[in-house]
Amino acid sequence: MLEIKNLHATVNGTEILKGLDLTIQPGEVHAIMGPNGAGKSTLSKLLAGSEDYVVTEGSVRLDGKDLLELAPEERAAAGIFLGFQYPVEIPGVSNMVFLKAAFNAQRKIRGEAELSAGDFLAWVRHRVKQMQMDPQMLHRGVNEGFSGGEKKRNEILQMLVLEPRLMVLDETDSGLDIDALKVVADGINALRSPERSTLLVTHYQRLLDHVQPDFVHVLAAGRIVKSGGPELARELEEKGYGWLQQAA
Amino acid sequence: MLNQDAYTRAFEALLPSLSGSERDTRSAQLQRFFSAGLPNRSIETFKYSDFTALAEGAFALALKAPSPSLDAWTLPDCTQQLLINGHAATPTAALDGPISEPAHAGLAALNAAFATPGLQLQLERNVALEQPLHVLNLSVLDTPAKMIHLRHRIRLEAGASATVVLHDIGLGDAERWITQTLEIDLAANARLQLIRIQDESAATSGWFQATARIQRDASIQLLQFDFGGARIRNDLRLLLQGEGAECGLHGLFAPAGGTHVDNHTVIEHQAPHCVSREFFRGLAWDKAHAVFNGRIVVQPGAQKTDSEQRIANLVIGKGAEINAKPELEIHADDVKCAHGATFGQLDTSALFYLRTRGVPEATALSLLTFSFAADALQRISWPSLREFVTRRFLARMGGDLDAGELL
Repeated sequence: MLEIKNLHATVNGTEILKGLDLTIQPGEVHAIMGPNGAGKSTLSKLLAGSEDYVVTEGSVRLDGKDLLELAPEERAAAGIFLGFQYPVEIPGVSNMVFLKAAFNAQRKIRGEAELSAGDFLAWVRHRVKQMQMDPQMLHRGVNEGFSGGEKKRNEILQMLVLEPRLMVLDETDSGLDIDALKVVADGINALRSPERSTLLVTHYQRLLDHVQPDFVHVLAAGRIVKSGGPELARELEEKGYGWLQQAA
Repeated sequence: MLNQDAYTRAFEALLPSLSGSERDTRSAQLQRFFSAGLPNRSIETFKYSDFTALAEGAFALALKAPSPSLDAWTLPDCTQQLLINGHAATPTAALDGPISEPAHAGLAALNAAFATPGLQLQLERNVALEQPLHVLNLSVLDTPAKMIHLRHRIRLEAGASATVVLHDIGLGDAERWITQTLEIDLAANARLQLIRIQDESAATSGWFQATARIQRDASIQLLQFDFGGARIRNDLRLLLQGEGAECGLHGLFAPAGGTHVDNHTVIEHQAPHCVSREFFRGLAWDKAHAVFNGRIVVQPGAQKTDSEQRIANLVIGKGAEINAKPELEIHADDVKCAHGATFGQLDTSALFYLRTRGVPEATALSLLTFSFAADALQRISWPSLREFVTRRFLARMGGDLDAGELL
């Protein structure tokens, strides 16, 4: 589904990604772990289409097509969803307006018919309940005055509504208490399917207790320096990242 | 040069309708106007707003006109009051009372010489106006060089409360010159929400001055929305005169085309323990020019003043310009005053966030522009009016946002 080859990227002239390779097949859950500054957030934002990064070498393909030449909204319509580490507040624009604009815009790009207002409302309400959120939140501004935990729940709500094919979740577990972590993990697991893939970007292992990955990779200094199964995450939790950075 | 002949002719046409004593007072005001003239750029506070053309013009007083259909501006659940070309449907006598120190003596004298009574609202002790009062102030003109001068007054006795909307609408393309003064007196514990919507025609020069004197524990919320006009100047002054008084002075200016709009505000803390908040949002399209000058004065003895002022500006048109300046003048030592002005583009991280959800760039920019203005729009607590002003703003924005969904 996603194929990253020898990816080099810079921000303001500084190289952050230095030859990253990663292949994700349909249905797989991959976790990318690594110390701060390794390039984890760069990778997630770059996949979603941020213009802050310049790709200097290498390729990223989604279903065999060049992802890098697509605008962020085209990537969304192609099935990529980025769960933000720091979701943005948009006061005065309600969550409902935002969700509807996003949902219908994606369908339009894909050449699908828009959902009727009533059907869409039912579609959203069901998912609000699933995320154990107050339905009143739909009438509040996007993330306006939300706590850190509420913002993360809202990210997963958006994901459930939009049903992407590749979920890229950037530090989604940070700032969550244990109950919220469980709800967020349940949301991610609810979307797991043989056609859908997940890329979890995280510093800690605790989300991986709830969302079992198939593969774990360690990103250090802009490259993947080690890959393994779920046991690698536990090893990292015990030993930290120091031993790998030395190896890299 | 001031066109004294033309202004004298206009005054002579007015004379037959005036009583003897009024003739004398108004003649004196006319002479005051002749000696003071109208402000030009050599006066610091009028650096951006030049009224020379109005001094030189040959303006005649606008005549009564039949009412056009009011459907487009009629709101539910309110009392409507109509002014057309400065004439009330049912004429009311002017309430007397002090006239405040003017922003410019010539402007004030011109208004005093020619003004007809506009809104004259007086509420006795503890009377609450049950419904908002919606004053539709229309200028309906097809022939150029007409002028309209209005004097409004709102007086709330102790404990009285009201919501008042002054809604200026200009119809027709003919050039016109409109001045308005509004004197507000709020006795102890009185509450006023006043919303002024300025939507003049694109050929209007307008000057509007409001002065509010706010006594002990009284509060005013004044919201100013600017959409239209050619050359617009608003002088808004809120004087916190009694301990514990509060004021909010908020608004949005959103000029387009070749409009010039200049808001000069003054909030004066004259007594201790008063609270003031001032939040303005400015946007400018096309070749519009907006000016905002917000002055906060804390007088000696106004201890425990709590004051905050924020002005945010967004220049949209390539040929547009906004000049905004906060001014803080503090003569007391135990006060809390915060202020700031920002000029900017839309938040690129918010733009990226919307696009990653599939929202096309143009729609995302529209949503963020709306979000910027929503800070002011949401301060209108009367839902019908909030909807009206929001729709007006969306019409100004253009684009494909659906008002029905946003509200």
